[in-house]
Amino acid sequence: MNTIKNITVHKRIPYILMIMLAAFWGCERDAFQKLEERTWQLTWSDEFDGQAGQLPDATKWAFDIGTGDGGWGNAELQTYTNSPANVSLDGGGNLVITAIQESNRFTSARIKTQGLFAQKYGRFEARLKTPYGPGMWPAFWMLGENIGTVGWPQCGEIDIMELRGQEPHIIHGTIHGPGYSGGNPVSKSYALKNGRFDFNFHLYAIEWDEDKIDFFVDDYLYQRIERKDVPGEWVYDQPFFILLNVAVGGNYVGFPTAQTPFPQKMIIDFVRVYQEAK
Amino acid sequence: METNMIDIIKKYLPIILVAVLFAACERDLEDLKPVPFPSNPEVFIDGFTAGLNYAAFGGSVPTAFDVDNKVTWNNSKASMRFDVPNAGDPQGAYAGGVFFTGSGRDLSGYNALTFWAKANQSAVLDLVGFGNDLGPSTYQVTISGLSVSTAWKKYIIPLPDPSKLTAERGMFFYSVGPADGKGFSFWIDELKFENLGTIAHPQFGILEGQDQTETSFVGVSKMIGGLTSIYNMPTGVNQAVNIAPAYFEFNSSAPSVATVDASGKVSVTGGPGNAVITAKVGDKTAKGSLTIQSVGVFQPAPVPTRTPDRVISIFSNAYTNVPVNYYNGYWAPYQTTLSADFAVNGDHVLHYTNFNFVGIEFSSPTINASALTHLHVDIFIPGTLTANAQIRFELVDFGSTNVTGTFTRTITPAQSQQWISLDIPFSSFSGLTRRSSLAQLIFVDVIGNIPGFYADNIYFYTEAAQPSVPLTAAPAPAHSAANVISVFSDAYAAIPGTDLTPNWGQATATSVMQIQGNNTLRMAGLNYQGIQLGTSQNVSSMGFLHIDYWTANSTQLKVFLISPGPVETAYTLTVPTNGWRSIDIPLSSFAPVNLGDVIQLKFEGNGDIYLDNIYFRRN
Repeated sequence: MNTIKNITVHKRIPYILMIMLAAFWGCERDAFQKLEERTWQLTWSDEFDGQAGQLPDATKWAFDIGTGDGGWGNAELQTYTNSPANVSLDGGGNLVITAIQESNRFTSARIKTQGLFAQKYGRFEARLKTPYGPGMWPAFWMLGENIGTVGWPQCGEIDIMELRGQEPHIIHGTIHGPGYSGGNPVSKSYALKNGRFDFNFHLYAIEWDEDKIDFFVDDYLYQRIERKDVPGEWVYDQPFFILLNVAVGGNYVGFPTAQTPFPQKMIIDFVRVYQEAK
Repeated sequence: METNMIDIIKKYLPIILVAVLFAACERDLEDLKPVPFPSNPEVFIDGFTAGLNYAAFGGSVPTAFDVDNKVTWNNSKASMRFDVPNAGDPQGAYAGGVFFTGSGRDLSGYNALTFWAKANQSAVLDLVGFGNDLGPSTYQVTISGLSVSTAWKKYIIPLPDPSKLTAERGMFFYSVGPADGKGFSFWIDELKFENLGTIAHPQFGILEGQDQTETSFVGVSKMIGGLTSIYNMPTGVNQAVNIAPAYFEFNSSAPSVATVDASGKVSVTGGPGNAVITAKVGDKTAKGSLTIQSVGVFQPAPVPTRTPDRVISIFSNAYTNVPVNYYNGYWAPYQTTLSADFAVNGDHVLHYTNFNFVGIEFSSPTINASALTHLHVDIFIPGTLTANAQIRFELVDFGSTNVTGTFTRTITPAQSQQWISLDIPFSSFSGLTRRSSLAQLIFVDVIGNIPGFYADNIYFYTEAAQPSVPLTAAPAPAHSAANVISVFSDAYAAIPGTDLTPNWGQATATSVMQIQGNNTLRMAGLNYQGIQLGTSQNVSSMGFLHIDYWTANSTQLKVFLISPGPVETAYTLTVPTNGWRSIDIPLSSFAPVNLGDVIQLKFEGNGDIYLDNIYFRRN
């Protein structure tokens, strides 16, 4: 079903753009980025084409339903559903995950490729627009496929994009593993100086191989985590599956306030996964 | 090379000059564009920026604002300090003023006015904003109730549609009152315009974002209200911003039915037909709309012809209405009836919608209708009736016990969509054993098939000959007490010691009686009647003698002003009256009476006269 496409990223023009970006947003950036060229082959994707109101493709995505154990381990407030009101295609080539407030109750959605698709190494990317407002916690992330046998954090977690709704101009890229999880992960943030991630689409990606994980926003490398950077075991040599969700409240983000606008939407244009062609 | 160039220029200079001259001649007026205003974004950084002025609002403490060199944001050279007064400060009740420029600035490149602020205690700034130019303030934007703390923090006032802001003079203004009666100080620094990418998701609304529908007529106009504006701030929270109507561009889907002007005033111009009024701010569509369902030309209720002295009016443009508590009591929990009253060419009409029952109350004071005989009401059912309907009228008297009288009228389908004028004798109201303290009129949909109706000209009247006593009180005076020296009125304190019934040998029986709870001076069987002022009055700075008078049977009436001598001059009043008549007599008419020393008034004539609101007033 997936046609294999050959694409080459990181050509010369993006380098120039990156240099300009670095010049403009130089605050916490290296002055110059030199990245090796790679050729990526598409191995899995969802472009979210389809009729408005449809649930996401059941051959690619499964649902997490309910309130999890202790608010999915984070004291999150939302109840996840598989209702089209919370998660459905918009008919314009996007998937929309909507967090809804019903008096003091919140519903939202969390979808995952667990049991349907997982991959070791490669490039994982999603183009999306985040929700906003205090207490909103959208994420594009991955978990080790062996979570069912070894548990968390031994399975490893790669958060490609997380955002706190009270800081709609900052995204975070993070890994959690044994000895460096929860409040003590390996993490870095990327901020827009005069912009936000909630009113334009941005491309969030990692490039992951046996030595390192590189984190990108709009093809700008803002974080490289190598084996030696991890204060514990490197658990990223096995397949990981993908998750997309919008949480409300929780330890990471705090509670929504009366000023948090609802409903809130994360709009995802596509999710694509590549393997390096050697 | 350089020498060569200079040589060339020297050689050809005359030609170049000629060419320049020609070019200048060829330029026509359309090429002349107005010089744009400067786009300087800075208002107050380390002091006033060029051209900036300050003016305090009237009634505020004029010295509330000062430049502070000690408490500043980020150790800059200066900040703006504002000292809010304590309640009762003789200098002023609040701190407030405008920072404005003498000529305009082009702010179209900025989408926000920003500043850093702190206060010496947690406080709420009642109003801060942009666009007050001490004139029309067309593009004003304000935030109400801005909370500031004791730590410096950045605040943002978003500017909707900056493309309109090409010649702005009002840079910043504030109006802040005491907190719980106590004054405080706050500081503002780095006040400037910015183009922020961190404010997002503006949402605009008209009619509070609701879609409303109204039945209307040619000639009806109304303002679109409920203008709202919300921005999402860099912290992800929504902030309500008050923005001027001029930011909204209103549109009518059918100008032949209804037009809307730049201020949001909708005027129904035609019909039958529908027009949808919507608005945009910049390229954003505002939430909410008004659908005008125009019925076309309104057919007004028949104009009442009864003389006012036979009428006690509750709702009519033909008469002066008595005090009414409400025209719709919204009686919970069973009433569904709503009000959508309207005016067509100045004629007000009650419009009850979603009708089951509705009450009008006029209990302060109640109406004594003992001397009257009928209730008049005009009703109009705009919908189509499919079967006979019944409307019940209930009159409630708030005497020692409540007494209710009811009268039911059947309306046939053929009678809908036209005015039905009802003259209902009190004797037809079953159970109405008393009508000296009427307080309520209730309409009830008996069958439940009347969706709504218009009502007009609701009044009680007498069919008998003209009453000899006024049914209603004299109109309430509207002049400010500071401009009045009063002889007799409930509205003003009278000259102390004034004697309304001095014994000058007159045959007149003079007394004070209450009409609708209002003291009225009655002179029965008048030949003459003096009024002795408590003290001599200097009315030379006054312009007029005001009198309200009422008489059904007098054929001759004069009023005199008297100064010592006696010097007295008469002024003839037109009688009889048709209801209350108000007159303002120029004091010059009383020459040669000494206006510096007026001691008495006198009425002379015949019949029974009723007087109220006798006072001198300034121009």
